[in-house]
Amino acid sequence: MSYAIEVESLRFRAGSFELKDVDLHVPTGSIYGFLGPNGSGKTTTMRLVLGLLRPLAGRIAVLGHAMPEDGPRVLARVGYVPEQPHLDSTLTVREIITFQAAFYPTWHRAVAEDLLRRFELDERRLFARLSKGQKAKLMILLALAQRGELLVLDEPTDGLDPVVRRDILAALLEYVSLRKATIFISSHLVHELERFCDWVAVMDDGRVVTEVPMERLKQGTKRLIVSGAPPSERTGETPFVVLSRERANGATERWIVGEWEPEMTAYFEGVGASLVDVIDLDLEDGFVELLRSFRAARG
Amino acid sequence: MFRVILFSQWKWSRLIVVAGSIAGFALPIISMQGASADRGALQAQELLRAAQSWGTLYPVLAAALGLLVAIATWAADHRGRHIHALTLPLPRWRYVLLRFGAGVTLLAGPMLAVVLGAVLATVTATIPPGLQGYPIALALRFAIAVLVAYAVFFAISAGTARTAGIILGAIGALILIQILATLANVDLDLWGTLQVVMLNWPGPFAVFTGRWMLVDV
Repeated sequence: MSYAIEVESLRFRAGSFELKDVDLHVPTGSIYGFLGPNGSGKTTTMRLVLGLLRPLAGRIAVLGHAMPEDGPRVLARVGYVPEQPHLDSTLTVREIITFQAAFYPTWHRAVAEDLLRRFELDERRLFARLSKGQKAKLMILLALAQRGELLVLDEPTDGLDPVVRRDILAALLEYVSLRKATIFISSHLVHELERFCDWVAVMDDGRVVTEVPMERLKQGTKRLIVSGAPPSERTGETPFVVLSRERANGATERWIVGEWEPEMTAYFEGVGASLVDVIDLDLEDGFVELLRSFRAARG
Repeated sequence: MFRVILFSQWKWSRLIVVAGSIAGFALPIISMQGASADRGALQAQELLRAAQSWGTLYPVLAAALGLLVAIATWAADHRGRHIHALTLPLPRWRYVLLRFGAGVTLLAGPMLAVVLGAVLATVTATIPPGLQGYPIALALRFAIAVLVAYAVFFAISAGTARTAGIILGAIGALILIQILATLANVDLDLWGTLQVVMLNWPGPFAVFTGRWMLVDV
């Protein structure tokens, strides 16, 4: 498998915040969701990936090139939408498009014009006068018209109304299907990523909690109702990952487990317990349980 | 690339550039008002005095133009925390050069205005015998002063708040040491020494000092 982004043992520090031994592997052509609560380090990691910040240690490769050393060569092939709109507020929409086009040899004018029309952006309006949704649409327009092989999107739909979110996500999906591009998208809106991501990484407190295919995270995270469960010290080695367990009513317990497979029910017979029910969790529940168990393990 | 950077900088700096051009054009013409050869040596002395007093405004205008255009050059990038600039696909040194070059191009307006104003003033005025106009020399000196001021303030404005803090801290420390030395009766003249080093030839700001005369003997 080839990777659009490879990050290994990445370390970074800014004040009291620290990224510690971050490993990420974004497969080429995938839509890779980067989940985590606010302040978990998603934006910092993305900025490191793009060479905007310099790491203390570790290796970053983007589209086969080392970052930040090969920054300009890589950035010519990457569309980036930052968390906060950062464009010159004194320029109009048309002037910003002209400005951006001058820097990208792959700039596709027809795509820019098409998106300008579809997003209903007034090209004469100053950037400062655009609404939040219009700013987000313009940022997406710029990223897509660059025709990059990789899109790095830092919470691009955060705080937007559902209609604008739908427009933006539709444009992104259309772009990916046409260009076979890779998308590396961060969000704390779990349900949003659930719908279209192939892979997902979860980050918390500057560390990567997990990095798995989306289906595996969705299908493998379950709530089990267990009757007659042995105490924690006598459960032995489980074939699945126990994220949390808590007493329900009577002799039953609720276990949240990861990497679950149906044939693992045999484990409970082996330890003298019985599995009463297996309940599917949506990604949001799975995400919350993952974070809870990660934080509990770290004390 | 240069064209779009120049355009964006023009949008932020146009008021400064237009006002600077008008001032640069008007200054030599105003300084030559009342020049005539009718009253001989007396008129020559008056004209020299007027040229000298108006001449103090040239370095002030040059410094102000350099400062304001330099600040305007980086203003949008600072507001956007340099994120947009850093994600553009070109080496950082090249981006800085493009920004610097665009600022210099915009400053060419006021520089040319001084050339035009100075030439027009010396051509149209009646310069008393014994005096001579130096429009090109004055305009050239003005251009160099503008470039020096712009380069210095461009470099300072390019930095972060931390860089500005370090520079201000160094100046503050210098003043503090000077005050302490004065209080302790120590024979130390840091400020004077610094002035000599910076303002006397070949100091970087020597171009701002001395007499700025459009007409002279």
